Amino acid sequence: MPGILYKAAAIVGAAEADEIGFLAEPITSLELHIQAIRNVCGQTGIPISQIDGVFSAGWSTELCEHLGIQPKYIDTTAVGGCSFEMHVHHALAAIHAGIIEVALISHGENGHSARKIGGGGSNYARGAGVQSPAVEMTSAYGLASAPSHYAHAMVRHMHRYGLAREDYAHIAKVTRDWATLNPRAAMFSKEKHPFGGPITVAQVESSRLIAWPLTILHCCMVTDHGGAVLVTSPRVAASVRTRPVWIAGAGESMDHGNMLEMPDFTRTSAARSATAAYTMAGMGPDDMEMAMIYDSFTITAAITAEMLGLARPGEGHRLWKDGHAAPGGRLPINTNGGGLSFTHSGMYGMPLLIEAYRQLSRTAEDGVHGIAGKQTSARTCVVNGTGGSLSTTGTLVLVAED
Amino acid sequence: MAYDKPIPVRGTHTEPFWDGARAGRLMLPRCCDCNRVHWYPRHLCPHCHSERIEWIEASGEGTVYSFAVQYGAFGGWSKAVPFVSAYIDLKEGDRMLTVLRGVDPAAPETIRIGAPVRVEFEPADDQTHIPFWRVVED
Repeated sequence: MPGILYKAAAIVGAAEADEIGFLAEPITSLELHIQAIRNVCGQTGIPISQIDGVFSAGWSTELCEHLGIQPKYIDTTAVGGCSFEMHVHHALAAIHAGIIEVALISHGENGHSARKIGGGGSNYARGAGVQSPAVEMTSAYGLASAPSHYAHAMVRHMHRYGLAREDYAHIAKVTRDWATLNPRAAMFSKEKHPFGGPITVAQVESSRLIAWPLTILHCCMVTDHGGAVLVTSPRVAASVRTRPVWIAGAGESMDHGNMLEMPDFTRTSAARSATAAYTMAGMGPDDMEMAMIYDSFTITAAITAEMLGLARPGEGHRLWKDGHAAPGGRLPINTNGGGLSFTHSGMYGMPLLIEAYRQLSRTAEDGVHGIAGKQTSARTCVVNGTGGSLSTTGTLVLVAED
Repeated sequence: MAYDKPIPVRGTHTEPFWDGARAGRLMLPRCCDCNRVHWYPRHLCPHCHSERIEWIEASGEGTVYSFAVQYGAFGGWSKAVPFVSAYIDLKEGDRMLTVLRGVDPAAPETIRIGAPVRVEFEPADDQTHIPFWRVVED
């Protein structure tokens, strides 16, 4: 049954910055944005001047100014790594409402280069002066990095379902297998990166501890990445040279900002955002032929697979452990190599979108973005971004052109 | 030795908590309308949205909800790794972040979710005493 907004709007193109990953020469976040925007406009044939809606995680005024455009719809939602899935949700609504026809969603984040030249991805600031009481009551304990927080969720999830850390290590191993099919992946090969190429579960388990139980191979990388997608009306979609991928369903939700307020460390708001997306699409988890799941950490992927209804609670990891998520499996997941092994600049929602577009538009193996075996036969894909400390979620159900 | 860890910047409505901490008492905000405790301190009750909030002295007892062992940290904590961070379910309700005492960071398998804990306070400066929680015998 086609959903209520089926064919209301499509992703018609998706592109990256010229070079992504661990760039040798430092690059700014703005430059990563601009390269990706130029590339997606070149790919689709849509001129920058035709963009009438701009969506980014805090950058929209600077981008519009830089591009010299005056859009009719400006959205700068910045809620962490899932901002970009939410941008698609918002673009769908704006296009369906007839306000705009060409939405640009853009990402640039020099997570790696920032160590040399400063910068970062989310160009928004919290209020100055007295800080929030949540920060006041947690800042004494020295935790400020993502793994320091997520490790607590992993321990609770392990406890609740009687799992061992090794169960989650399969996620890192299988995701690396996907990366070895993607020459753009930071961990594609030993030649590309000293720690690249295939890995074993034993290697994941014995790698350096970051925040027990998370070893470094249970954690995503911090790289440079720029990416852009164009979402358009059906009318524009019919006029471009690229293939449309239809946004059949979209949803977003949140539980908390600070992990202190997370009600249940084994569940995220993806349960709600996915329900909204599936309902809009008139489809369910059993209709999904692949998934792109934010894997900031192995635990993030495991919990999210459960929230998306792809596995029963406590069994998310089995999709990887039993090989279903792997190349050739029945439900390919994170076919670009994931935040764990492809790229992850700090906010990973954009690479999820780009890979979902490539898979469903049958361009996942075009010589630049993949080699034999990377292109799946999937015609439907559920995409889920997670932001903050398992805080915010955006879910999309995408469907290939008939 | 002077306290070398981060000292929180005090907010505008949390004085009763820090006054209590200085006297060795755990003070928690409780809603006068729905009677539920919440943490962290709010300008209105997150359960019923009442603005009538009072401070009560809590038992200082709780249980471990979850924990992790930190091998990297910020400020003075970077010199104290590895240490065990934990979320504590408070006896009166809601949850608090802490650094857990009375546990061995090198043996996380010996740390038990659900273990009973008690609060203690460490002076960071004249005004600010930081709450820490310690695992106690059942």
